[in-house]
Amino acid sequence: MTLYIIRRLLWAIAMLVIVSALTFLIFYAFPSADPAALRAGRQATPELIAQIRHALGLDRPVYDQFGIYIKNLVLHFDLGYSYQNNVSVRSEIFSRLPATLSLTVGAVVVWLLIGIPIGVLSAVRPRSLLDRFAMGAALVGISAPVYWLGLVALFLFADDIGRIPLFGGAGSYVPLTQDPAGWFKSLILPWFVLAAAFAAFYARMVRGNLLDVLGEDYIRTARAKGLAERRVVLKHGLRAALTPVVTIAGLDIGILLGGAVLTETVFNIPGVGRFAYDSIVNSDLPAIQGTVLFGAIFIIVANLIVDIAYAFLDPRVRY
Amino acid sequence: MKTMSAAAAAVLVTFLGLAAAGCGSGSDSSASASTTSGSSASTAAKGSDPAQKGGTITVLSAGDVDHIDPGQAYYSFSYEITYATQRPLLAYKPNSVNASPDLASAMPKVSKDGKTVTVHIRKGVRFSPPVNRAVTSSDVKYAIERGFATSVASGYAQAYFGDLVGAPAKATAKVPSISGIETPNPTTIVFKLKQPVGVFDGALGMPLTAPVPAEYARKYDNQTLSSYGLHQVATGPYMIKNNASGNINGIGYQPGKLIELVRNPNWNASTSWRPANADKILFKEGFQDPTVMTRQILSGSADVNGDTPPTPAELRSIQSNKAQRAQLVFTPTGGSRYIALNTRKAPFNKLDVREAVAYVLDRNAMRLTRGGPIDGRIATHFIDPSFGSKGFVQSGGLGFDPFPSPDFSGNVAKAKSLMRAAGYPSGKYTGKQLTMVADNTPPGSNTAQVVAADLAKIGLRVKTISVTHSTMYTRFCNVPKNEPNVCPNVWWLPDFHEPQAILNVTFNGQNITSVNNSNWPLLDIPSLNKQMAQAKRVINPSQRYADWGRIDKEVTKTAGAIPWLWEDFPTLFSSHVTPAAELWNGGAPDVTFMSVK
Repeated sequence: MTLYIIRRLLWAIAMLVIVSALTFLIFYAFPSADPAALRAGRQATPELIAQIRHALGLDRPVYDQFGIYIKNLVLHFDLGYSYQNNVSVRSEIFSRLPATLSLTVGAVVVWLLIGIPIGVLSAVRPRSLLDRFAMGAALVGISAPVYWLGLVALFLFADDIGRIPLFGGAGSYVPLTQDPAGWFKSLILPWFVLAAAFAAFYARMVRGNLLDVLGEDYIRTARAKGLAERRVVLKHGLRAALTPVVTIAGLDIGILLGGAVLTETVFNIPGVGRFAYDSIVNSDLPAIQGTVLFGAIFIIVANLIVDIAYAFLDPRVRY
Repeated sequence: MKTMSAAAAAVLVTFLGLAAAGCGSGSDSSASASTTSGSSASTAAKGSDPAQKGGTITVLSAGDVDHIDPGQAYYSFSYEITYATQRPLLAYKPNSVNASPDLASAMPKVSKDGKTVTVHIRKGVRFSPPVNRAVTSSDVKYAIERGFATSVASGYAQAYFGDLVGAPAKATAKVPSISGIETPNPTTIVFKLKQPVGVFDGALGMPLTAPVPAEYARKYDNQTLSSYGLHQVATGPYMIKNNASGNINGIGYQPGKLIELVRNPNWNASTSWRPANADKILFKEGFQDPTVMTRQILSGSADVNGDTPPTPAELRSIQSNKAQRAQLVFTPTGGSRYIALNTRKAPFNKLDVREAVAYVLDRNAMRLTRGGPIDGRIATHFIDPSFGSKGFVQSGGLGFDPFPSPDFSGNVAKAKSLMRAAGYPSGKYTGKQLTMVADNTPPGSNTAQVVAADLAKIGLRVKTISVTHSTMYTRFCNVPKNEPNVCPNVWWLPDFHEPQAILNVTFNGQNITSVNNSNWPLLDIPSLNKQMAQAKRVINPSQRYADWGRIDKEVTKTAGAIPWLWEDFPTLFSSHVTPAAELWNGGAPDVTFMSVK
């Protein structure tokens, strides 16, 4: 196991370098705004833009810029400074992580609490009225775009612009440490909106997996031994059915920690996702690099945790 | 200051009618103050309704400032913060396009030869903590000088202060000393110019002239990229909340999230005409959805839109509601949107073809892509009606339209006859496909579609490359070697209400640059260049406006750029505040004149 983890960590580092290199290449290969010209302003002379380009290091060859970036990253964990406002990208990402973490963790709890029970109930009573209703609702949940769902939620339930003012609206996010009650109120709508599609997807996945598992021989054996149906389903069935769910959940959590761009944007939550969005709009390469790198780190770490968790969930898996 | 009640609207209509008939007096003192609203605007500024003191005003914005450093800030939204926290030599009251002395104690005195400009500054103006000392003329000198340093790199230092004696021709590694800025005593600053500059007053109203304490700022300005903006001190009624060492980053300035203005404890109200009613101003950023933003303002959970207008649908809904209509103020931006045709490339190197395009464009349909009449008047030349007698009247006002068509919907027959004159017997272009670089999001992308369809009516088939708005400028339309045949989404806002600020950078062939070029049609007509060079040196305002009015007509007739919209900006105020919109700054709210009811 230890060797496996070391091997995976080495691969993770290689993967992060590749991701960084690809981000650099994409930035330069495709038409994007000129950061030096953006910083200079509309009446700046070509000489001034050239000087700014030099000050930002943008006049160096791409491989050179990449080398400097990696060197600073490895030696100092320095992600550079934003072209836009000259603030440290690392500090900016760290200052935004709590918001993204709050959004993700809450949404995961919501979607697991909704998705798994519905999936189980649907699998236990396939083709029942409950099953058909739940799966129909799941289809709607999966199909509804987050941005649209977010706006509908705001116009219905936000305490400033909603018809039934119950929860915090766009821009109402406050940090947990500052005002726990305000934090909770501001995140209820984003949690449910972000969780909607995931809950629907997980319900369908749990249902499908559990139906497959419940048809296995060992389940029939368990029933033949006289175990209670609840025990058969929850202990023997669900445990096996959840293995692929854990894999996907790990990846989903990793992706969301890298920034739930749409949800953060529609609810104006100052998280990493909105930072990524703003960076792309402003052609702010250090900020783009930083957010992409963080996203990649989360996905890789989540993958690693999932792989390790597999060993505990599925006794057949050995490393 | 004027407000636009029903009576004032009638005055404006009369004025515009006179302008259309070419009956302007030519006086330089009557520039139009044409902010309009359903009821009253800027009543606090007018003084007819005693404003309440105290409270918090919340401004919502989609994006962040372009730069937090007052020496770098160059966007309308950034100015909302800069002019509330800094005191340039001159500044503007909300409904005026004429500068008033701010840090200056009186308007500048210009010598007879126009080469020496003397400004006295007010006593009793002090920097905010941690500097806490009185402002002197040396602080203004340093503020302008730092704009020439690479670490600050003001976007307009060279354009407006490059004529100062001793000004460096290009940015310098360290903050230079400019011999043409003299400070004979702590309250006097003298500008020595190599040649007369007609718009120097306008330049003195730019935020670059707001004082900066050298002994405090120099260590930041000596960095590769100055971080003085993150440690700035204020002279205005408000300051960005900071800590004891002056740092605002993560405190009063949270990029992309919040800018928090609090009262500047060292501000002396007796030295300023700003009422500064509210105790605190919050600029909440990141509101990407204009509908949500609009509803929040209407609900009273926020007070005004800072950088993004309500959607056309929302505007129509608000206008149909009597109570809400009173909260909406329309302000001319002072700028115009136009279609730029690359005059260096065939077929637009021929005047007849360009004129044909000017005739064939359905400018009414183009305006509909941005919301229709609610978005502003269809432009027929470049100087906006808000300039009034500062050039608009002189350029023919509403009566000057060299490419007329019924209801501005285009004249295809006339366009085809011009194409025949250009050597295309069928009235349609027969050459290769043209290129157009346009926005990849509405409304710009929709405008581009209308343009493409109109061009096709005279055989001009275009291949559209769709990119982000900033990419369109910085990689294509601003770079002559990459410039396509058509740039349909360009827009120019003047830095101040002087016609030169509209026409010189954009149409003077002397200003074509290899990058960051804003002469999008690449117009380079020697006779026009010469007229502009002369007009720039005219100190007498009446003569200057007459000259630029004539230049505006000539530029329009070249059809290198085809204006189609004099845009208005809608500012929506909550019912909890007294409105104040800046006519000089494209309708941005003036938080120093607003008050909480």
